[in-house]
Amino acid sequence: MTAFLALLHRDLTVAARQAPFLLLATLTQPILVILVFGNILPRLGLVSATFGIVMVPGLMAIAILMAGVQGVLMPLVQDFSGTREVDERLLAPISVFGVTVERIVAGAVHAATAGLVAGPAMILLMHGTGLGDVQPRWALLLPFIAICGLLSASFGLTLGTQVQPRFAGLLFAVVLGPMMLFGCAYYPWAQLKEIGPVRFLFLLNPLTFVSEAMRLAVTPEAPHMPTPLLLAGLFGWLVTFTFLGTRAFEKRAIL
Amino acid sequence: MSTLVVENLTKTYPGTRKAPPVEAVRGISFSVEPGEFLGLLGPNGAGKSTTLGCMSTLVRPTGGRIVVDGAEVGKDPSGVKRSLAVVPQMRNLDRELTVRELLVFHGRYFGLEATEREARATRLLDDLQVADKAGAKPATLSGGQQQRVMIARALMHDPKVVLLDEPTTGLDPQARRLLWETLQRLHQRGLTFILTTHYMEEADRLCERVAIVDHGRILTLDTPAALKKSLPGAQVLDLWMRAPQPLAPRLRAVTGVLNIEAVEASDGDADGLERLRLFVEPGEGLLDRVLVAVREGGADLRHVSLSQPSLEDVYIHLTGRGLRE
Repeated sequence: MTAFLALLHRDLTVAARQAPFLLLATLTQPILVILVFGNILPRLGLVSATFGIVMVPGLMAIAILMAGVQGVLMPLVQDFSGTREVDERLLAPISVFGVTVERIVAGAVHAATAGLVAGPAMILLMHGTGLGDVQPRWALLLPFIAICGLLSASFGLTLGTQVQPRFAGLLFAVVLGPMMLFGCAYYPWAQLKEIGPVRFLFLLNPLTFVSEAMRLAVTPEAPHMPTPLLLAGLFGWLVTFTFLGTRAFEKRAIL
Repeated sequence: MSTLVVENLTKTYPGTRKAPPVEAVRGISFSVEPGEFLGLLGPNGAGKSTTLGCMSTLVRPTGGRIVVDGAEVGKDPSGVKRSLAVVPQMRNLDRELTVRELLVFHGRYFGLEATEREARATRLLDDLQVADKAGAKPATLSGGQQQRVMIARALMHDPKVVLLDEPTTGLDPQARRLLWETLQRLHQRGLTFILTTHYMEEADRLCERVAIVDHGRILTLDTPAALKKSLPGAQVLDLWMRAPQPLAPRLRAVTGVLNIEAVEASDGDADGLERLRLFVEPGEGLLDRVLVAVREGGADLRHVSLSQPSLEDVYIHLTGRGLRE
């Protein structure tokens, strides 16, 4: 446990030093998207004024997912493509599983911070435009952000261990890009009834559950996924990715 | 009790679709006594680093047993990791931290108290002559400085055995000599080291015992002096030439020539020249007799070198190949 906490301390120390850059990377996209879809387009009459409200939880979800994935994926890719800083961790008195779980927890802190910063920033922005108020249920939001952070980080671990370092750039275009479009970030899953059974394919996308969790906590009045399905999806994907990611990590780290 | 015991270690890396399995280590056994400096000498690909990797728990052995200070690899990895430290071949210092911070964090990973880890970091930075770099990031350090920081980091948790994997590869001669002096100083204070290297001079200078490793096996293991003594003859005479016919039979008949080995051409040799290595008992007229035999054989002799035998000669004697290929 000592080694686990020490590793976490190291990761959070480094992350805190990079905070300005991380915030910039996290905030730029959602704020600009809210500005366009929540302010400019409604004024032009191209989308309804409430669209911004639908998007707030979705953009929070994207911020969480991206921060979680990047927080784990980038150090992993660098390690496996040559720096091997991970070897120092593996030589600490801690199991390989412990090293991996620490990575997930550190990535989750990263992801949760992104969600907690992006959410209020967008809520303030929405309020400022006078288009509508968003009142999140904090008691629900905080645990959901924690679970979604862990899910995103374990997903990043799975990606980082399955993908050759030289294809890491491609991941963002080929995997994460489509995920964001088909992850119910810009529309509630409940309303996909219109497109028929195809909507169940969206459940294969972990972002769908992150988006719906944020939707339930941030805009509870909007239509959202049934809670049992939501919880099953969040925990199901979390367990799956943690299992796949830790197993693959051990395979690649210990020759 | 031995600090470290390796018994019949084997490691086969599984094959892939494109590559067959690789038997990197094929049954290596040795033990290291407290305070000893042991070297594993051999060319690249001999299995030295894999052997070291198995000891450090970063490579999973296929077979055999490794015990470090009472803890067995595979059964008590945390115990093993507390007892040993690794200075890897690849410089893997934490790039996000300063030199001092990375030492202190390493101590924290091993559960050292705050005052203890600060005090040790200060002492080791001084000891390894990198105190002036305490506030710098590793990327701004020279190769030799990074190597010394890696040794300082390894010593933070007070290990019983330090594994050094090719510690001077890529260093300039001056940095290499400084590192050798540092290692000798630490060894004199009682630290136990296991070193892999393909520089015979390094093994000769630092190690009390040297295992010559080739193709995953230990060919011989003894003190450098005993290894050199095991060679026939007191000196080594190398001849580089172009010969129209094999010269060895003719040279073998020369008085004072005890043994002859043809050395396979390596990068260091002049292009296309044949190299013969003669183990000789130096005596009056020996060189004359050899030169006459070469001339009579119709060979065009280009280069001659007479030297004391080195560990490389031992390696060549055992394998028929040069170390740097």
